[in-house]
Amino acid sequence: MSERITRAQIPMEEMGITPGSACQGCGAALAARLAFKALGPNVIRHGVPCCPDTVTKTPQIGTVFEGGGALLTGTSRGLKAIGREDVLAVGFFGDGGTYDIGFQGLSAAAERNENILVITKDNEAYMNTGNQRSGATPKYATTSTNPVGPKSRGKEQPKKNIPFIFAAHYVPYVATASVAFPEDLIAKVNYAKTITGFRIIIIQSPCPVGWRFEPEKTIEIARAGVQAGIWPLFEIQNGHDFKLNYKPKELKPVTEYLKPQARFRHMTEAEIAEVQEDTTSKWQSLIQSDEMGKVLI
Amino acid sequence: MVGNKAAATACKLARVQVASAFPITPQTTITQYLSEMHANAEWDFDFVNVEGELSSQVVVQGASRIGARTFTCTSGPGLLYMHHPMQTTGSGRLPVVMAVVHRSYKGMQPDHSDLMSQEWTGWGHWYVEHAQEVLDSILMAYKVAEDPRIRIPIAVGYDGYVLSYTAEPVEIPDQALVDEWLPPNKPIPEVLPDKVNKATFGRGFGGEADPQVPWKVHHDAILKIEEVHQEVMDSFEKTFGRRYGNAMIEPYMMDDVDVAIIAMGTIAGTCKAAVEKMQKEGKKVGLIKLRSYIPFPVKDFQEWSKKLDAIAVVDRSICPGKGGPVYQRLRETLYDMKKRPLTLQFHAGLGGKEVRVRDFELIGDKTLKAVKSKKVEEPVTWV
Repeated sequence: MSERITRAQIPMEEMGITPGSACQGCGAALAARLAFKALGPNVIRHGVPCCPDTVTKTPQIGTVFEGGGALLTGTSRGLKAIGREDVLAVGFFGDGGTYDIGFQGLSAAAERNENILVITKDNEAYMNTGNQRSGATPKYATTSTNPVGPKSRGKEQPKKNIPFIFAAHYVPYVATASVAFPEDLIAKVNYAKTITGFRIIIIQSPCPVGWRFEPEKTIEIARAGVQAGIWPLFEIQNGHDFKLNYKPKELKPVTEYLKPQARFRHMTEAEIAEVQEDTTSKWQSLIQSDEMGKVLI
Repeated sequence: MVGNKAAATACKLARVQVASAFPITPQTTITQYLSEMHANAEWDFDFVNVEGELSSQVVVQGASRIGARTFTCTSGPGLLYMHHPMQTTGSGRLPVVMAVVHRSYKGMQPDHSDLMSQEWTGWGHWYVEHAQEVLDSILMAYKVAEDPRIRIPIAVGYDGYVLSYTAEPVEIPDQALVDEWLPPNKPIPEVLPDKVNKATFGRGFGGEADPQVPWKVHHDAILKIEEVHQEVMDSFEKTFGRRYGNAMIEPYMMDDVDVAIIAMGTIAGTCKAAVEKMQKEGKKVGLIKLRSYIPFPVKDFQEWSKKLDAIAVVDRSICPGKGGPVYQRLRETLYDMKKRPLTLQFHAGLGGKEVRVRDFELIGDKTLKAVKSKKVEEPVTWV
């Protein structure tokens, strides 16, 4: 499991060289900035189609949208073949490239326990094409393909539980992180660098444009998500060892997370209550798992 | 040795470093041979058993980018599933070599519809006739693909069942000779973080202000294969004592004939027997075996057309609603010639339909009849 660090231990060196063409307040740009600081220079970055976030100094290889897991596999095996296993193959993908179109190849790479590190900047919809629903979109969120109308209350289904799905591949390391908790995020990347095998860190990355909030509120909203238990921060090793990294004595109400985002503006009191109940119930399970130090899968 | 064993043996001789494949009939036994060779540590290589063909294509893409020598293989539907990443392997200028064990996409039996349907992916496309040619061509494909002038992936196609699962005598070249003839691959460009400062890869021809430039550079690189392939064929003959025509085509009994039949793959072998029989009977019919469909042997066919009265094209595939690809490509090749031979289109062996010596005799007779009457009454025949 990761070891707690202080803000002073966050590396000073920036790996980003230009802001890319990210929007103001882009959570994913911040996720990239933090993650690549921790990764350092000895990595090859892999990308599949996604929002532009932060261009980094690292060499970058791209492939087809659905090919992330296989491309990382090829690089990792190629590095082994030429005797350069010191170089880390890192994927920096969006939620589409992880949860949906990229899932098959990533699941297979996880099942083969490929020696790769996947970092997902999860902004909960296909934001590069203009906010269409993904498997990562939470229930009731509106997107351009889940508009609210007489026949629709936004997305009907819950967000796919991707960290637990990867944990169920019994891979060495699965973690969630948030751009509002940079020390935790960097500690997890640091830890992932010290082990081998399949590692995945999913970073919730608020999107002001898609989630519809003021760009200066990115951190506030990310923090509220963690504090309300909507996006809990945890680590799972080998599919069973479990640790909850942020445990407030009391969760904040989900309204603190939902209300500032116009994508949830249409929600009724009853719908909010449903989300609250669901969040509380899942939180109870996580607290239990944390006390036992393991998940039962 | 069966054709699929010849392909796996070629990988061993070439000292492939990373291979990846997903089993599909009639390619399956290549994945099994490679898995066995890996388990028995026959040489130092990595074999990645993936969950589908798309991933096998992307795995070799990644490993090839790092600089490893890579191999993958598939058949019919598996090749169609690879279509998307085949484009990025081509555009990435990655010297991947792939065996395509032909399988129709209307049924399980062989025809050339699988590889023909991939003509836009930016690869070199070769078609071979027998197991020895499978082995030799895979070795030559590495030498051509990895040449700094080329850096284009090459697909070596051979017919499923008839070749994949049929045993023939195959001479295995001496490993030391192969090692000397085929030096290790080098990554172009370098991608390791300590060797480059900053770089983005993925679109090998990208970065130009004119968005058409990557297409032109890719096209020109593929056309260049013709020259390098011919050089490689010469050096292969010098080292190993075998050759296949001038690499692009292999003319057979083409002295003093009026008619040439163009055929590809295993049925070119059948055609050889038919040509022998027809010439014994005084019929002036020869065979031009087409080995390289992309790039197409334009110069060769333009030269041959000057000496021929008619060319019969046997297409073992069809683009529905459009026609036979080799026939159409040949006709556009001949358009600028002052004297053009008659051309006849024959569809044979589609969906794995058996093509017999007798069928080639019919093709020959029909073409001779057109020569005699100086016109083509029926341009397209389904044999």
